[in-house]
Amino acid sequence: MLRLKIAFRVLVFVTFGLFLHYVLPQHDIVRIGSTEIIRTDFSGFNRIFYAQADSGGVEQPTRDLRLINTDKKKTFLLGFVARDTTEVMVYRNEDTGWIWPPYFKFDSSDLQAESSSVARGDSWAVLTHYGWRVRWASIYPNAIAVRIVDIPDVRIIPWFNIFFFVFLVVGIAFLRAMWMQFRERAVDPLMDTAGHHYDEASAGMAKRRGRVRRWLDTWRAKDKR
Amino acid sequence: MAFVRLVVFGFLALSVIYLSVAVYSRSVRREKLEKAWAEDNPASTDMAARDAFVAKGIVDYNASYRPKLIALVYVVPTVIVAGIVYITNTN
Repeated sequence: MLRLKIAFRVLVFVTFGLFLHYVLPQHDIVRIGSTEIIRTDFSGFNRIFYAQADSGGVEQPTRDLRLINTDKKKTFLLGFVARDTTEVMVYRNEDTGWIWPPYFKFDSSDLQAESSSVARGDSWAVLTHYGWRVRWASIYPNAIAVRIVDIPDVRIIPWFNIFFFVFLVVGIAFLRAMWMQFRERAVDPLMDTAGHHYDEASAGMAKRRGRVRRWLDTWRAKDKR
Repeated sequence: MAFVRLVVFGFLALSVIYLSVAVYSRSVRREKLEKAWAEDNPASTDMAARDAFVAKGIVDYNASYRPKLIALVYVVPTVIVAGIVYITNTN
């Protein structure tokens, strides 16, 4: 039972962690090679890994998808440890609109134009994105912003993620405090009353049962009572 | 349409948060008042006086600026969303 409990907790923790890893912004240091647009037919499986149509447009089963082709600096430990090697990375560039995830991005076309102009030179750029590249399911991370940097070894401080996790911890602590207060002030007194009622009811039942039992016993043989 | 949906559901979600925080804050204040009464009158069994003391404290609380600050639950997320919209969409 304890093992099951631990396994369940680990599962919840890992799922939550993966969810945050998908949704929170990350910064990559890239050299943009080119930008392109491909026609995309979503499958039932990979549809949820794409945003909806551009925020002014209407949803269709098939649509064009903006892509940004880059050479990305490899990293260890979610981008905290830099490496010298690079790898190919392709980003999609879609509006997230007013819906999930809440980046409120409406400027895909502008970002595509920026990326194209970065691609003309040979400079390094910091590309903010969320999401994963999953090759066997044709899933791309979504680019959010791009800015040119002078050297590839820039120090990036993930301010948003710092604030997010501080807020998450504070929020959980607050929720816990609220729940404890609710239990102490509303549930516990109720449970005390309910427990009292239950005790009275079961005592009454036992008394009545005793009476019935005694009456039944009068029909039995004296040595079997 | 998506914007309307965001506003409606966002308002509902924030209202749930607002109500729970308001109830929580008042409950904490009530507990504090009860403890203050117990400290000042350790031997008192006069429940009517205690209830009057707590009720007066709650009236004072309702009139204070603190419950009004809870309305920030609506303001802060709106400001944050506006900030994100601005930051994401400027070059």
